[in-house]
Amino acid sequence: MPASRAPRTLEPMVSERVYTVSEVNRTAKRLLEEGVGSIWLRGEVSNLTTAASGHLYFTLKDDHAEVSAARFRGRVALLPSAQIENGMEVIAYGRLTVYEPRGRYQFVASLIQPAGAGALQIAFEQLKRKLEAEGLFDPQHKAPIPVTPERIGVITSPTGAAVHDVLSVLERRWPVAEVFLFASSVQGEAAVGELVAAIHRAEAFSKEGADLDVLIVGRGGGSLEDLAAFNDESVARAIYGCPIPVVSAVGHEIDFSICDFVADLRAPTPSAAAELVSPDRAELATAVDRAVTRSLRRLSAHLRRREEVLAASLKGYVFRIPGRALERLGQRLDLATERLLRGEREAWAKRARALERLSDVLRVADPTLPLRRGYSVTTRWGEAAPLRDAAQLSPGDEIETRILRSRIRSRVEEVKPVDDD
Amino acid sequence: MTTIDERLKKLEAVTQRLEADDVSLEEALALFEEGVELAKGIKTDLDAAKLKVKQVIEQAKGTFTMEDFDLP
Repeated sequence: MPASRAPRTLEPMVSERVYTVSEVNRTAKRLLEEGVGSIWLRGEVSNLTTAASGHLYFTLKDDHAEVSAARFRGRVALLPSAQIENGMEVIAYGRLTVYEPRGRYQFVASLIQPAGAGALQIAFEQLKRKLEAEGLFDPQHKAPIPVTPERIGVITSPTGAAVHDVLSVLERRWPVAEVFLFASSVQGEAAVGELVAAIHRAEAFSKEGADLDVLIVGRGGGSLEDLAAFNDESVARAIYGCPIPVVSAVGHEIDFSICDFVADLRAPTPSAAAELVSPDRAELATAVDRAVTRSLRRLSAHLRRREEVLAASLKGYVFRIPGRALERLGQRLDLATERLLRGEREAWAKRARALERLSDVLRVADPTLPLRRGYSVTTRWGEAAPLRDAAQLSPGDEIETRILRSRIRSRVEEVKPVDDD
Repeated sequence: MTTIDERLKKLEAVTQRLEADDVSLEEALALFEEGVELAKGIKTDLDAAKLKVKQVIEQAKGTFTMEDFDLP
């Protein structure tokens, strides 16, 4: 009989560690918690039980696998969790961990919500983060919106409330504009493709020479599902790439759409978008009036200054000044100004006539005019009254001759009458 | 015809020039007259403006036609 041989055994080497069960579960737990962390998990609820403690235990499964899950009562939920039930498709936020006493790994949820709306919300947040990281929302990419756009593009449904709202605001505030409508559906399966196509169409049309100043893209309010096209990545990228300044105009139940973040300007509704791109013609007319009033005031100041200069220089002069006429015209001008300020239309004409006459008078009364033409004025030295008769002078008298920009002092040698006429 | 925007800018420039100290009376009168003409034109156009709305249809790539658009 062959000598019995001891059964072969495999012993751990001295350097190798022997775990206890507790240790291995703890290690698995640490690896899962640190390696996976918090995640979003989607699945169908089954085997739902509520413990006396209020904790929920259930299984999340898809077609091929399942994982046990729990939601502990008293955990602070970031958002209120929906009432869940068996068979419900949910999206839950939580972490993977190991229940050490049983060596069972499980998903501990802190937030559970039905998959429909939740999924959209999550997709929204993920897309928003992605585009933001790419820099699509950066303020330096935002083009300024022109203050008085002449050509406004509008992308929306031609049968919706939005187009009506936009056009009636523009009609009231800024009918100077030409509006170009690019029709697109704004909800449903075709909406994304049609919106992108409409944006490209507007770009091409603008480049063909229409030269659009601004583009409003939007629709009226709706549910998150209705607005889905405005949260679509390709629509967002089309808006971002559009060389025409874009104003997003999506009626909101939620705060923002992805399009709002990429647009150059965000409006909360289509009407608001129309208001944001248009000056108010009534305000503009008031501003124009103000500019005219300001100009008129400046002009009056010029005239007053000129009158003062005139009056000062006339003191030493001989020319006949239509002083009273000047005064009357000045008053008439003031009156016209006043009436103009009160908005009376015929005051325009009066003002213009008064001004015209006043400037004529000023031209005629300009004491330097004859001097400019080469005439001069002679007085006795130190006197203001002009000499009209040579008989008043004798040889040896001192006289002053006024020519343009100079006074000449002379002594009379001889006085001789001449035939002027 | 120049756009309202261009005329508004011109009016602003005229007004500013009028406020300069080195403006002669003759120039001031001319500027004022120009400003008033601009203002009258702008206000007339603002009053008379009527919103024009066209629907743009792309017949073929790069070929556009426009149709008058009336609210449904």
